[in-house]
Amino acid sequence: MVPISYYLILAAALFCLGMFGVLIRRNALVVFMCVELMLNAANLTFLAFAKQNGDFIGHVSAFFVIAVAAAEASIGLAIVIAVFRSRGTVNIDEMRTMKH
Amino acid sequence: MSFFDTHLLNLVVYLPLVFAALLCLIPTGERGQLRTITFIGMLVDAVFGVWAYLRFEPGGAEFQLEYRTRWLEQLGVSYHIGVDGLAVSLLLLTVFLGPLVVMASQTYITERVKEFHISLLLLQTVMLGALVSLDVLLFYIFWEAMLIPMYLLVGVWGAEDRQMAAVKFFLYTLVGSLLMLVAIVALYFISSTPGTRSFDYATLYNSLIAANREISSCMATGGNCGELAGLAGTLYRWGPWMFGAFALAFAIKVPMWPVHTWLPDAHVQAPVAGSMILAGVMLKMGTFGFWRYAIPFFPTATQQARPFLAVLAVIGIVYGALMCLAQRDIKKLIAYSSVSHLGYCMLGMLALTHEGATGSAYQMLNHGVSTGALFLLFGFIYERRHTRLMSDYGGIAKVVPVFTAAFLIITFSSIAVPGTNGFVGEFLVLLGTFKSNLGMGIASVSVLGVILGAAYMLWMVQKVFFGPLTHRENQHLSDLSLREFATVLPFLILVLVMGLMPQPFLDRINPSTERFITRASLGIPGNNVQADQVQISVMGLPASDLAVAPTAQPSGPLAVRR
Amino acid sequence: MDALKQFFMTAPVDPTVFAHSLWLIIALPLIGAFVCGVFGKMLGRANVHLVACAAVAGSFALSVLAFWSVSHVQGGMPVSTENPFSTGVVRYAISADYGTWFSAGTFRVNYGLMVDHLSGILLLVITGVGFLIHLYSTSYMEHDEAYWRYFAYLNLFVAAMLTLVLADSLVLLFVGWEGVGMASYLLIGFWYSDTAKAWAGRKAFVTNRIGDFAFLIGSFLVVLLVGAFNAQATSANFGRLGGNAETAQVRFREGLQQQGPLSFRGLEVMANALPVTAENAQGGVSLQSTIAEGPLAGRTFGGVLTVALLLFLLGAAGKSAQFPLYVWLPDAMAGPTPVSALIHAATMVTAGVYLFSRMSFLLVMSPTAMVTVAIIGTVTSLVAALIAFAQDDIKKVLAYSTVSQLGIMFMGVGMGIFWAAVLHLVTHAFFKACLFLGAGTVMHGNADETDIKKLGGVRKEMPWTWATFLIATLAITGIVPLSGFFSKDAIFHGVHHNHLHGYEWASNALYYVGLLIAACTAFYMSRLYLLTFEGKRSAEAKVAHAHESSWYMTLPLVVLAVLSVVSLVYALPLMPGRNGPQPVMENFLGPVFASAERIASAGKRVELDHSVPTFGNYLVAWLVVVASGALAGFMYMKFFPSRAGQPAPAFARATRRFAQNKFYVDEAYEFLVIRPVKNVSGILYKLVDTVLIDTVAVRGTAWVTTRVGSALRYVQTGDAQAYAAVMALALLGGAVYALIQVLQ
Repeated sequence: MVPISYYLILAAALFCLGMFGVLIRRNALVVFMCVELMLNAANLTFLAFAKQNGDFIGHVSAFFVIAVAAAEASIGLAIVIAVFRSRGTVNIDEMRTMKH
Repeated sequence: MSFFDTHLLNLVVYLPLVFAALLCLIPTGERGQLRTITFIGMLVDAVFGVWAYLRFEPGGAEFQLEYRTRWLEQLGVSYHIGVDGLAVSLLLLTVFLGPLVVMASQTYITERVKEFHISLLLLQTVMLGALVSLDVLLFYIFWEAMLIPMYLLVGVWGAEDRQMAAVKFFLYTLVGSLLMLVAIVALYFISSTPGTRSFDYATLYNSLIAANREISSCMATGGNCGELAGLAGTLYRWGPWMFGAFALAFAIKVPMWPVHTWLPDAHVQAPVAGSMILAGVMLKMGTFGFWRYAIPFFPTATQQARPFLAVLAVIGIVYGALMCLAQRDIKKLIAYSSVSHLGYCMLGMLALTHEGATGSAYQMLNHGVSTGALFLLFGFIYERRHTRLMSDYGGIAKVVPVFTAAFLIITFSSIAVPGTNGFVGEFLVLLGTFKSNLGMGIASVSVLGVILGAAYMLWMVQKVFFGPLTHRENQHLSDLSLREFATVLPFLILVLVMGLMPQPFLDRINPSTERFITRASLGIPGNNVQADQVQISVMGLPASDLAVAPTAQPSGPLAVRR
Repeated sequence: MDALKQFFMTAPVDPTVFAHSLWLIIALPLIGAFVCGVFGKMLGRANVHLVACAAVAGSFALSVLAFWSVSHVQGGMPVSTENPFSTGVVRYAISADYGTWFSAGTFRVNYGLMVDHLSGILLLVITGVGFLIHLYSTSYMEHDEAYWRYFAYLNLFVAAMLTLVLADSLVLLFVGWEGVGMASYLLIGFWYSDTAKAWAGRKAFVTNRIGDFAFLIGSFLVVLLVGAFNAQATSANFGRLGGNAETAQVRFREGLQQQGPLSFRGLEVMANALPVTAENAQGGVSLQSTIAEGPLAGRTFGGVLTVALLLFLLGAAGKSAQFPLYVWLPDAMAGPTPVSALIHAATMVTAGVYLFSRMSFLLVMSPTAMVTVAIIGTVTSLVAALIAFAQDDIKKVLAYSTVSQLGIMFMGVGMGIFWAAVLHLVTHAFFKACLFLGAGTVMHGNADETDIKKLGGVRKEMPWTWATFLIATLAITGIVPLSGFFSKDAIFHGVHHNHLHGYEWASNALYYVGLLIAACTAFYMSRLYLLTFEGKRSAEAKVAHAHESSWYMTLPLVVLAVLSVVSLVYALPLMPGRNGPQPVMENFLGPVFASAERIASAGKRVELDHSVPTFGNYLVAWLVVVASGALAGFMYMKFFPSRAGQPAPAFARATRRFAQNKFYVDEAYEFLVIRPVKNVSGILYKLVDTVLIDTVAVRGTAWVTTRVGSALRYVQTGDAQAYAAVMALALLGGAVYALIQVLQ
């Protein structure tokens, strides 16, 4: 039996990897993948706790997260493609429209 | 119980709103119709307002003509209106000015007539609403809502610098009132425990009585009041801050020195209707707020701040009068004279004597009548000449004798010549100040306003009306038309009636004064005011089915699983 | 004789019934003012004349009835009115109460009117002289377009003045007090197209307002005083009133509730109950007791009373043109001449004398206040007389002479010889009105020429004017047997023989200054008369021949001239008094000043003398006056005409210029008061209001907000990653903080 702390440490590590990726990577696609990484870290935590508690609430949450992640990925990728089409780049340093 | 027993005040408050809705249906081009309908609306409203005033029994309950119904129950808010003596007097003033304001603007406003009259009616509703509301949150909503139509009146139909004046007016007043909102919410939270919290004026006040008494008795013994437990301790520590927030909001509206500078600008730029309403009613909201909210809620803090505020009021009296002597612009002069007159209102209130407070309340009415009339009359001449500078007039008494006579009478009322309304108020205020413990120094300086008032008003009259006719443009000024004279006449009559027979008005104010003084003296260390002397009793919430629902046990499968 | 006495002592109307109609005396002129002012233009000249004169005539008729009523004696019992403040009654008076004017807290003012001998005699003077002047005005103003406005103002003035004397409380008196000021403002500036005249009106009003400022504070102090007395007085105090002390106290409190603290009758009761020294108090309060609570705590009753009276003095100085507030009166001559006669000579300016006579019972309690009143009166009188020496404008000379005569009345009031002051008030009203109206006739007949140097020799052309002017001049200078001689001498005699405790020197000093004033009066009045009427017609005259005015104008002159002769009867010691014969006026006003007498004799601070002047006194006064008049006659008829064209010595010219410019008092005020106020207001407006408050504080806040906003703009990069980084850092900080908290 693997202790729960192992799962949690792994999830934290994944989350941190994802977060730093979001913060420092320039390519929008990579940023997306990092966001997926963070979501999966959260999933892992949910499942670890579900296993420890022995009920299904964690599983339910994980399914929700997966569904959300799928939706997010599809819409996000669509935006990225749209941006690429209009600007010819997916480098997020070039996109500062939020300033206005 | 007829409909009017319960809904008279509602009728007075919302009738203008109904007429405003009616105006929306009328085509923009039909200016005559728009004006007539507004006028009729204001007139009918005035009739109901006078009826409400007459129905108010001076010897009766504190709040009369009450109406209360459920509204936002989760927050402890109810729709609760009613009037005491002061509120009903100011209500009378407001409905009195209504039709006259419409008449005064008949030729003055030529653009966006529909929007103008809708704003006027809306303004009337919210001003009346602020006067009658007995729920603090309701009051706050009306109080803030007042700004919007007024902002529009100044900003859209004003003179050349209207934008600046409107923004200044808006921001100035908003700053104060937002702080007041913080204080209201804080008061709401400290006054009671969760579940029983209420924004109702009476409930809020009653819940503070015990704490206020505790504080004043603690201060009388000289103990460390900071260690008081519970509400009293909180109120002792935070009361002054909350009082400050309330006082700032009201002081800006009054306006007291040194937060008065929005007033000259707003008055100068506002159209005649805006000036009349601003001077006539809106400034009184500040003094009314002190009277109804700031001082009764925080009697101890009032006692501490009283000398300071009284000094500000006296500075306002003298400073306002001195400012008048330095003006070249007639409207600005009248605006500064308002600062001086409202200084008397504040001083009389802060004297905390019967004479002073009654005089202060009466002075509120007087100022509404006489300064309103001054702005009205000046509006007439401005329409003809389009200049506000004294030097552009001179010697016009010969050309416009009726106008001059009316202006002189109002001037005498403004400088409180006995026999006019101004005298009664000013005399009582000064007498009250002398009787109070504010000190002879403050009282004597405040009497200086009597001299300066005559000096600046007569100086202006002199410059404008007397002497040889200096400008050729003024040679063919037309005198007051019938419509204009009909607008001024009610003011002239009221000046004399209120000067010679003030007692019917004072009778309605006096009971309010007594309660106000008792509530304010709760803050004097070592007073022996009993709780039942100051307790406010109002009508309870009407019973209804809705009220029962939340306490009923839930049923169905979900209930079983709990 | 007895039949005559009986006639005067039986009023044609029952006084108690008549008392209810007292309001009509005020209402008639008020209605007249309203009708003339509103409908005057439509009514036409003749109707306006009719309405205005009829209103005052009706008022006069009612005043006669009122006067008659207060002398009414039935079955040995004089007419009396209830005193709401005590168990007793006020004798020789009628009163009416028309309900509350306003009340708040413990303060209350009623519409209460009262006529006693003092106000009765003033009623007659006001309405009588007022009617004559209305009549005169119908002719004087015949060429003026704004006649209706003139008569409306004049009627308004009469109504206000009647309110002043009929009022039974200080507040109602103040209504009349300010009302006459307002009417005077309107009338002085009657020809408002002339800037100088309009300014003169404003100057009069504002100067009066300075007095009113003091009057108001004085009234408030009296309210506080009455309150303190009511709280602290014991039955020992009320025992002094005679009768049951407890009942008296209850009655006094009831009176305060019903009539308010400023009623004259209440003040009189308080004055009677308040002994001067603590020894007399027998445990009650006295003037030396300290006030226990309220804003005046720790001060003595006497001290507060003195301060209040001094404030009233300043108020009276404003209205009655006394030093230092007399400056408005000479300028007030800008108004039409009948106005000067009515307002600025006969009636309004005597309001101060009336006020102090009305409150004589308070005044005698404070020798300090009395002596101040007397000294102010003397100084004013002397200064005004000296200025009158050098004035060339006929109306200005009369104006300064009025100021001077009012000063003499103040002397009398200040030294406690009230009846003589009132008598002088009455006689002065007659002869000064006659002089002013005479001056008006002279102006009317000489194309509005007012410079006496450009007149001269009008005697033959205007015989009626000349004769009446001469009589009035002789009366004011004080030549036997005209009324002015007796009334003035009665004052000087009283000043000489009354003594104020602690100020004994004042009696002699003021008496001799008084003689000097009399000499000055004789000199400048003779000069005025001689230059105007005698000698040859001046070469600079506007018209070659003057014309006599119509009978509308001469009739009032004749009546007034006759009155200024016959009113000497009042000064003759014909009535039986306590110690020998008593002047008629003293006897007549006895009931009014009885309280003052009683308080003075009980307190021993003020010694009031009742002797009648001897022949020797009369002779001295007469010689002084005649000598001075003769000197003037010699100088102006013999000496100066022969030196015409020769330059006067430099010092004489300098002195003359100094006097001509009124000792530069106006300039001093301009420099010391008006300029500073104007400059301060200008500086305050530009510096404090515009710069400090509006620019620095208000716009400053707006500016700071804008600056902070634009500084923070740079933080907003639009880079989503940067925002996310900040969020992450904040989260991290939060987590670390929570961790530290948990670990601790």
